[in-house]
Parts: sequence; C-alpha cells; structure tokens
Amino acid sequence: MGLNNQLTRTYRRFMMGDGVYLWLLLPLLAFVALIALYPLAFSFGISLFEYRLTDPNQTKTFVGLGNYLKAFADPSIQGSLQATFAFVISTVVVEIAFGLGLALLLSAENFVSQFIRSFLLLPMALPPLVIGLVWKALYNVDFGVIAYYAKLIGWDMGHGALATPGWALPAVVLVDVWEWTPLIMFIFLAGLKSLPTEPYEAARVDGASRWQSFIYLTLPLLRPTLLVALLLRTMQSFKAFDIIYATTAGGPGLETTVLNYQIYKVGLVFFDMGYASALANILLFIVGLLSVIYVMVLERQQL
Amino acid sequence: MKMKLRLAMWFSVLSVLSMVLASCAAPTPAVVVQTQVVVQTQMVPQVQTQVVEKTVVVPQVQTQVVQVTAPPQPTQVTKPYDGVQLSMASMTDQYIQAFRWLLPYFAQQTGIVISIDELGYVDLRQKLVADFVAHTAQYDLMTTDIVWSGEFAANKNTVDLTDLIARDKAEIQPDDILPVMWTEGEYQGRQFAFPLGGYANVLNYRKDLFEAAGLQPPTTQEEMLADAQKLTDAGKGVYGIALLGAGSAGAQDFMVFVQQHGGTILGADGKPKVNTPENVKTLEYFGSLFKYAPPGNADYWWDQRETAFKQGKVAMMEGWSISRNDYEDPNISQVVGKADITKAPVAQGMQPKYGFGGWGIAINADSDKKKQEAAWIFIKWLASPEVQKEWVLHRGPPLRTSTMQDPAIVKALPWMPKLLESFQNGDGNYRPRIPQYSIIEDALGTYVNSFLVGKDTAQSALDKAQAQIEKNWK
Repeated sequence: MGLNNQLTRTYRRFMMGDGVYLWLLLPLLAFVALIALYPLAFSFGISLFEYRLTDPNQTKTFVGLGNYLKAFADPSIQGSLQATFAFVISTVVVEIAFGLGLALLLSAENFVSQFIRSFLLLPMALPPLVIGLVWKALYNVDFGVIAYYAKLIGWDMGHGALATPGWALPAVVLVDVWEWTPLIMFIFLAGLKSLPTEPYEAARVDGASRWQSFIYLTLPLLRPTLLVALLLRTMQSFKAFDIIYATTAGGPGLETTVLNYQIYKVGLVFFDMGYASALANILLFIVGLLSVIYVMVLERQQL
Repeated sequence: MKMKLRLAMWFSVLSVLSMVLASCAAPTPAVVVQTQVVVQTQMVPQVQTQVVEKTVVVPQVQTQVVQVTAPPQPTQVTKPYDGVQLSMASMTDQYIQAFRWLLPYFAQQTGIVISIDELGYVDLRQKLVADFVAHTAQYDLMTTDIVWSGEFAANKNTVDLTDLIARDKAEIQPDDILPVMWTEGEYQGRQFAFPLGGYANVLNYRKDLFEAAGLQPPTTQEEMLADAQKLTDAGKGVYGIALLGAGSAGAQDFMVFVQQHGGTILGADGKPKVNTPENVKTLEYFGSLFKYAPPGNADYWWDQRETAFKQGKVAMMEGWSISRNDYEDPNISQVVGKADITKAPVAQGMQPKYGFGGWGIAINADSDKKKQEAAWIFIKWLASPEVQKEWVLHRGPPLRTSTMQDPAIVKALPWMPKLLESFQNGDGNYRPRIPQYSIIEDALGTYVNSFLVGKDTAQSALDKAQAQIEKNWK
C-alpha cells in the first residue's frame, strides 16, 4: 500500500508541475516536425539548388534564389498562374453559391431531403482521378454521351469542349463543381443546424419576411461556416491536379495547365527538382497568404 | 479457478497450433489444380493457330503448373538460380499478355520467379526514374521504351549488356535480329537494354471502304491526304483518317510525319531544331489531315485513335503494328475482316523509310549480382528462337527475322511479311534517342496541340516549341 501511495504522489508531482504540458505536447510536436516542418525545410533547401534527378553526374549547384527569379520571368509560369486563378475563382464562387443553395433547399429533416443528401455524397466518395476519366469519356465528342445527345437535338459540339480554346477551362471547372459542391453543402448544412433559433423568433415577432431573415440573420450568422468553406475549397482548388491530369493534361495548348500541374511536369516529367520545389513553395506562399487574408477579413467583420 | 485458467491456456495454444497447421496444409489443393491443368495445356498448340486473343486468358490459371508442353526445356538441368525472385516493371502494352503466359514456364524451367508490375506509359517512366535515382532496386527488370535509351544509358541506370551479348553470341544468334531492333537500348555503340521486339509504323486501312470508293491504298503522303478527303463522309460519321493530337501522343505523331516528309528533329549539330521551314510545312500538312479526321481528334491519345479505328469511324490510321491483332478480335473490334495493313506512305520522291519503335528489356544496375545474372538468363531465354514463337503468338512484338518468316507464324499472323519489310527499312531514330528526349516531346506536345486547336499558326507553334526546348535544355 505504501509503495502505491508513493507512486501516486510522484505521479501527481510530475503531472502538476510547470512545463508538464510540454511533455504532453511532445508526441504531437514531434509528429508535426516530422511530417510538416522537415519536408518543408527540405523543399526550401533544394529550391536553392539547380538539381536535376536525371543528371548523369548528379550535380547540385547552389543558385540562391535563382529558381524563384526564373519562375517570375518564365512565361509558362505566368500562363499557369492565370489559369490557376481563373480555375480557383470560378470553382470556389460557383461551389459556394450552389452549396449554400442546396443546403437551404435540403436542410429540412424529411425523407426526401435525407434521401437526396445521401445521394449527393457519391461524387465525394469517388477518387478525383476516376471522376476525371469518366468525364473525359463523357466529353469526348466522337464517342461520348454528351455529344451523342447534343447531336440528337441538333447541337454540333465542334471539336468538343476539351479541345476548344475558351471551353476547356469551364469544362474542367464543371467537373470540379460536380465533385465538390456536395462538400460545401454539407459544411453549410452543419452551419445551418447549429444556428440559434431565438433571433428568428424575434425577427418573426418584428414582422421580418423570410427573405429579410435570410439576408440579415442567416447569412451573418453563417459567416464562420463560410470562412471554413472558403478556406477549404480555395486551398484544395489551388492544389487541383488529378482532374486536370485525367481530363485535359493541361491542354489545349497550355490553357488548363494550372500551377500544380506545371509543378508536376517540372518535377516528375523533367525531374528538375530544384525548380519544382521553388514553384511548389510559391504555390504554398500564395495559398498561405490567401488563408491569412481570409481569416483576417472574416474575423474583423465578426467583431 | 486455476483449472479454468489452465484449460483456457491449452485452448488458446491448441487454436494457434491448428491455425499454423491449417496454413501449412493450404498448398494441397494446388496438386488437384495441377492435374487438371495438364489436360488444358495439351490443347494449347491447336488453339494458337487461330486468333490469339482468346487463348491468352487460359494460361493465367496455370501459374503453378508443373508439366507443360509448349516451350521446350532449356539446356540446363541443374537450377543454379532456383528460388531467385525477380521483380519486373512492364508497360501495359499488348505484350504484357505474352509475359503473363510465359513467366510460369520460365519459373518452372529455371526456378527463377518473376513478378510483374504492370504500369501505364507515364507511370512506368516515373517509377523507373524514382527507382534509379534513389538506388532502391525495386525492379530488377524493366521494359524500356526506345526513346528512353539515351537517358537510362547516360545515367548508367541499367546494366551495359554489350559484353554479355558478345560472350553469349552463339546462344543469342544476333544476326537473326535486324540491325534496327538493336537501336532499342543502344547508346553510343553500347547496348543498355536488350531488344524486346519491334513496332513498325504502318498504315492500317479499311479494305471495304477503299474498294467501295474504287481506291487503292495510298503509297505517298500526297495520296493519303487526297484519299482522306475522298473517304470522309461526315454525315455518315465516317472520316478519312485518325491521328494523335494531345500531349506526348500528338508530339510523337508529328515526329512520325516529320520523318515521312524527310525532315529531322535534331539539327546537324545534334541539338534540337524543330522550327525549320520543312517542319513548318509538315505541321501544316499534319493540320490539313485533321480536316478529314473525327471532330474530336485534336484531343486524341493513343487509345482514342485505336478506338476510332476499331469502331469503324475512320478509313485509315497510321499506327504501331503491335495493335494489328486487336482489329480481328470481335470482342473489341467492329472491323473484323475489314482491315489490312500496308507500308506507311512517305512524301513523293522520298527514299522509303518507316518509323520504328518498340521496347527493350533492361536490367537494373542497382540490383545485386545474383539477380542480375538471373535476369540475364531470362532475357536470353525470352529471346531464344523457340520461345519467340510463343511470344509472338501471344501478342509479343516480333524480334527475330526467323520468327517473322516461320511458316506457322505467318499462317497465324498473315501480316508478318509486311512487318518484316517495314522493319528492314525501319528508322529507329526519328524520335531522338537522347537523354533530353522528354524535353522535346513535352514542348512539341504542347504546341502541336496549340496549332491543332487554332491557338497558334504552324510557324508560331514550332517557334514557341523551339524556344521552350532551348530554355529547358540541359
């Protein structure tokens, strides 16, 4: 018994003492350092070198910020940045609008809503690569279903959406919207469910219409949810790769070559690791910056 | 209490023991399988004289077969490499079926077990480069595209086989293998991969459509364009020709046409010069063919081009000979009995020269010695005249002249003599087999497509491609 007491005392002293939380945090910190900080530092490290994996002599030449400067002067990077922003803005805006609309439409707890909601989960459950391949087949103007029915109603699709400049990006955006709108819907649904009921009751007493209570109550109250949805989708959209890879492979020309696809090409087709790391860090910086701006703007509005 | 504990202990010990015993006993059913299988293998040679597609499915069951009749026994009686396990990365081309068919026999005869990782074109190269760069020796054997010859050789990723080929000359009979085949895996006079078999760029055409129109298959590029125009009937959904338009596929097809028009990708100094006036003209010609191609053609990769031909949408298609068997398979083709091949047309007045491609099989330089030796035994076994017959009948690309002339093979695959002719005038260098090949292919892929969809003129497209190549050139 005495030994047991002593053990308990030692344990308590250890647990209650200052700095103990550090011990408890240690596994997590080690984990973060291992899977986030180390690769980040490593990628920053090699981005300062001219380093091509397929180089016979495996030379690593220090070039400082040369790779970053090269990126800003590279017309293909400027093109891919344009494509990336066009892709991100259109996907995020459309998905948020549709997601919110669907959430409002399907927020009622009845059989029909629950049934439709469970079906809307399906696109999210499929791997993006598979979705890309399926849509590529659908879009194909010679063998695809869409062109087949378009022809029946007398609509000539020309060279097909994926091979027509000006149409390829919207076509890819549509695929992304199809896949990710349900996610936004579920985020908004969760937000809607957690809204307090009192303000609505007060508004009704004051004679507010449904539209007014949506504009002045629901939307402001949903702001934290909107932040989550915006952040999540913007970051994911910047990282878009699989859908592009499977549908257009960056074409026609370079029209749908978003930055992440360009990074893949530089890194895993040319194996130019130094430059690819620099590009990846630029992408990371853009996404990080945008996230900070989002959080700041939305937090300030809330106060 | 103690009694119960002891009982529980015995029970758990017994259950563990029974599990162990059960797993040991598992192989017994295999014996049953083996006896059944022997009957099947005896039927095999008869099936093979006809279209091969169906027979391929059967042997997959036979991975554990003991007694087989097909390929003859090797000379060695002892098995010095018994139990050696090799892993091979292979492209998922038609020849993968031949590998699946032959590997069990090889395992049976030598005790060397080879497992295959079947990978698509882009994935295969990425996995191989990753394996080579990290020296992980994940793969001991790999199929390597002819255009990777320079890259893998310059980096010494694969074993230099030159001396081994010279040493085992009597066994290999290199004279039975056409010179053009040796361009697969050759770099600066050394052989860094052994040729697996050749792909000839041929013209596939629809006999019925040509007959109905009263036309002969084209022999020149000019005739081909005229025929494509005549045979296009958009109202009926039939087009003159199917080509490649997207990404690396489009780049490779353009290079085929550059070669057929007498142009080159590399300048006299060995550096890329893609925007020559001749190449600009060829790209314009290439673009004019697209007027008589299915509407979505600018977005075609290899598989869509094949589908267009197999679905009877087009009258002509230049393509790799390896796909020839597919058109006679009623499960995947609607043009059974209607297709034929002829030599790919070249520009008027040009000395006939045909695009040559195909694969080599290489040994990882990082694998350990014993595995490398076992891998070399496999390569020699695969290249032996007897095994080559089986290989070709099961969709492998032909390697040996004697195989292509073998009466039994010609009977089963009547287009073999035409292939041999294409190989004899084959040009394995129309796509530069240099370490920087992927840079050229990527730039051409982007800008040829850009021209085809109307974003660039032929001149500006090739100028941009040239600029991009120069920028990325290392």
